[in-house]
Amino acid sequence: MTDKNSTAPAIAVEDLWQVFGENATSALRDARGAGDDKAIAQTLKDKTLIPAVRAANFEVKSGELFVIMGLSGSGKSTMIRCISRLIEPTAGSVRIDGEDILQASDKRLIDLRRHKLGMVFQHFGLFPHMTVADNVAFPLKMQGAGKAERRARALEVLQMVGLEGREDTYPRNLSGGQRQRVGIARSLAVNPDIWFLDEPFSALDPLIRRQLQDEFLNIQATLKKSIVFITHDIQEALKLADRIAIMRDGEIVQIGTPEEIVLHPVDDYVAEFSKDVPKGRHACVESILMDGIPDNMPDDPGIKIGMTLDTALTKCMELYEPVPVRNAEGNVIGAVHPHELANALQAEET
Amino acid sequence: MSATEAVSQGAGRRLSLTRGSQAALFVLAVVLLCRLLGAQFEWLVKWPAALTVPMADWMTWLVGGFLDVFKPIARTFTFLVSYPMEWVGWLLNAVPWPMTVAAVTAIGWMIGGIRLAALGFLGLMFVVFTGYWSQGMNTLALVAVSVPLALVMGAAIGILAFEYPRMKGAVNALLDIMQTVPTFAYLVPLLVLFGFGPVVGLIASAIYAAPPMARNVLLGLERVDTEIREAAVMSGGTRRQQLFLVELPAATQQIMIGVNQCLMAALSMVIIAAVIGGFDDIGWEVLQTMRKALFGPAFLAGSVVVVFAIIIDRMSAALAEPRQPQNRTVAYGILAVGAAVTIWAVLAGWPPSGVAAMDGLAKRVDEGVGVFTATYGTTLDSIKNTSMFYGLLPLRIGLAEAVLPFTWGFAWTVKHTAMLYGAALLISLILIFKGRVTAAVMVLIIAYIAEIGVAHLAWPVVILGAGAIGWVSGGWKLARLAVILLSLILISGLWERALLSLYLAGAAVFACAVIGGLLGLWSAMSTTAWMVLRPICDFLQTIPLFVFLIPVLMFFQIGEFSAFIAICMYAVVPMIRYTRHGLVSTPDEIIEAATASGAGKWQTMFEVRAPFAAPTILLGLNQTILYAFAMLVIAALIGTTELGQLIFLALGQYDVGLGITAGAAMAILALVADRLVQGFAEERRQALGL
Ligand SMILES: Nc1ncnc2c1ncn2[C@@H]1O[C@H](COP(=O)(O)OP(=O)(O)OP(=O)(O)O)[C@@H](O)[C@H]1O
Ligand SMILES: [Mg+2]
Repeated sequence: MTDKNSTAPAIAVEDLWQVFGENATSALRDARGAGDDKAIAQTLKDKTLIPAVRAANFEVKSGELFVIMGLSGSGKSTMIRCISRLIEPTAGSVRIDGEDILQASDKRLIDLRRHKLGMVFQHFGLFPHMTVADNVAFPLKMQGAGKAERRARALEVLQMVGLEGREDTYPRNLSGGQRQRVGIARSLAVNPDIWFLDEPFSALDPLIRRQLQDEFLNIQATLKKSIVFITHDIQEALKLADRIAIMRDGEIVQIGTPEEIVLHPVDDYVAEFSKDVPKGRHACVESILMDGIPDNMPDDPGIKIGMTLDTALTKCMELYEPVPVRNAEGNVIGAVHPHELANALQAEET
Repeated sequence: MSATEAVSQGAGRRLSLTRGSQAALFVLAVVLLCRLLGAQFEWLVKWPAALTVPMADWMTWLVGGFLDVFKPIARTFTFLVSYPMEWVGWLLNAVPWPMTVAAVTAIGWMIGGIRLAALGFLGLMFVVFTGYWSQGMNTLALVAVSVPLALVMGAAIGILAFEYPRMKGAVNALLDIMQTVPTFAYLVPLLVLFGFGPVVGLIASAIYAAPPMARNVLLGLERVDTEIREAAVMSGGTRRQQLFLVELPAATQQIMIGVNQCLMAALSMVIIAAVIGGFDDIGWEVLQTMRKALFGPAFLAGSVVVVFAIIIDRMSAALAEPRQPQNRTVAYGILAVGAAVTIWAVLAGWPPSGVAAMDGLAKRVDEGVGVFTATYGTTLDSIKNTSMFYGLLPLRIGLAEAVLPFTWGFAWTVKHTAMLYGAALLISLILIFKGRVTAAVMVLIIAYIAEIGVAHLAWPVVILGAGAIGWVSGGWKLARLAVILLSLILISGLWERALLSLYLAGAAVFACAVIGGLLGLWSAMSTTAWMVLRPICDFLQTIPLFVFLIPVLMFFQIGEFSAFIAICMYAVVPMIRYTRHGLVSTPDEIIEAATASGAGKWQTMFEVRAPFAAPTILLGLNQTILYAFAMLVIAALIGTTELGQLIFLALGQYDVGLGITAGAAMAILALVADRLVQGFAEERRQALGL
């Protein structure tokens, strides 16, 4: 077993492949000769195999919130199934806190899952024969916690997701959004260090979703877990992520901070994701900083590193005086301040 | 295949031969060969006795040795099982009936409210009044011990197949065998192993009832949602925890369906196993009264079986459905009333083993049947004779032998043979002219079967014919399987009996396909029809096989025709159900598209629904075939001469080898027929992209 390394990234994925189909391992080995990753994938597809994850390389730092985005079927769920070794990757390596998880024994895996890993499933994966509280307490039961302790903890996390009072109902009697929250509560029950979330807010209405996102950021600010978070929603990704990975057809096409994704998409596919995003709200001034310093500049509007483009623009506008507004006949009927104009365009958020 | 080419070129048109017509032409060639040369070379028609292998003797020797080894273990098992059986039997008999009735009523209430409570109460009260209470309880005691055995065995097999996918193929094959080999066949070795007595019936019924449980456990486990499975993994459960805390409970509904089927199978088998006797149970009662032609008592005893079956079925089926919790107080109330009645009954000295208030009824039924048969005897006889002389008999021994002056009014001569083939040739020429080669060839083959009869078919025709059908429906592999398996029967010397089985089952399946298909069509067209037919189908599927014999015997006495009717009654149900289901479950959009194109009701039915329903209907046919073979063995009790009869003979003579060989031959027939039809169903499904 690899010795534990405190400076190691929480998750390190190297050249990870997941190919579905018969004899995937040997087919992949044979296909390696075909050339680059694209050629390999094409060779596999020609044999009617599905390369659901191909040659993935990335790291998730300890305490980082790593978001995976991509169209439906691009291999996001498969990726986290590989990392958590719910399915056996066809090739490559996955290290969790420096430990090669693909080499871990069954016993070690059970141990890791009991104490270190948590997962929220895309379709919730609730146990139909257990009450909400029993569902939430199930991981604790696996840890060997006593009945009273389990119940207390279950109620605690259920309260966290706003489901107090529903603990004794069965999943079938809950709405989709409520079920999703039970799934979240269950994965929180053992307080995992590393947390996999597969579209955890997808079934929620916008209001609750926003609320849970904020709650989620709060939890993250205090607990500093290492998180892999899957979403379809670019706004959600930008709001939560430290870094974002964009997947297409099993391939990671770009990894970067929200800002990099929005301002410097590597190709049209990535650009398409952030098409509707108001860039000024997410990008900071340093992203467009000029190389040299010009000789004469107007009065200093007080722009600082780290300010979003929107805020910076408003600041600049403050330098101007109010300007006239005319009616159809061309008579002046009032005035607006450019600063107000910029302000109004900016959303209420800071 | 030069003969085939000659035929197709003789048609004078360029025809591209489909797989079907190629196969048909090949069979026709075999038919011609056998028909024309059969007179010179007798071995072409009849497998020479010198070449038969004494398989039954080998079996006796082989299995005998095997049985001797396991006998001590088996006897110990008998010894161990006989205790719980006696205890349960004693308990069920010792508890006064008012208490038992109350308990079942209370259970019914807890499971399904007032409806099932009423069912339990009325049903058991009926049993009380028939006077067969203690026999009934003895039967239940057998069921009560064999079912847990079957459940554990089935669950273990199902879990094993799920946990080790590599074993799945083997397990499925084993389950197929356990279900297709007629139970009577393994009753003999079981008798040798476990000794004479009710324990054998119990074990036989456990073996028979385990497969449905195993299949449903496997199916249920396979259907557990991946994410539920994964959630258990991610919670850090060990494999055993995952299985027992999550996967099995999540599969409860499917497993309960298995429990229901297991119960029904066990009950059915316990009744059948009564033929070995030795236990004063209800099956024995039915058999005895039937043998003595006491139709009233037979009818009542049969009704008791039916009542048990319905109660057990409905209650265990209700367990598989999600339900509302019921008020416990009511259940306690029912039990209290039961206790009160018990005390009163004891004080008043009611007979502990039922009231037998229906002896009068039994006599009445008896007399009724007597009057009925006396009044309508001629009608019944003429139904029977017409079907025999103009339907079954010609099918069995061919027109050439069945047509006699005594029945048909003239004797069959060469002239008639020529006429038969002449007509067939004419029709087939017309068909060829229309480009329908397969149908044309089939007409000729059918003419041959009509002349010779199924029982006299030359063995190459049957074996190669089955191979050809297999080739069309599932390729070389299936063809090989069919040929090899049937050849085994051929060399075992059971061939003639097997052909008789084939004839009777075939006749019944054909009748069921026609009647069941029409009834299915009717219930697909009219909801009223289905409202009437559905409970009848439910009823026919609930009652144990054995009971079918009673009404048939009452009206048509012992004989092949009665057996035929009994088989049809039982085997027609799946045909009705699947036909209707296939026809009504065509996707709405397709129907709408047809309606939008201006198709009428019947047009939609035949142009759209029927092709779409074909795979489902074929599955129904498949079920009908298996049902027919299952019933064939039971029907042998009332007079047939085929393999089933042989199995009974073996049972009577305690002949292990004969029992197993005849049972295996029967199973082979069922298995081959099953695979052939399944191949066609699969092909249709793929063609429709389902
Ligand atoms: N067990 C499996 N067997 C075969 N193919 C699979 C399996 N699981 C996933 N796939 C295929 O792998 C590809 C990626 O699937 P995956 O579930 O990872 O997509 P996803 O990005 O999570 O999509 P979504 O956003 O719809 O959840 C798909 O083409 C899918 O059909
Ligand atoms: Mg997914």
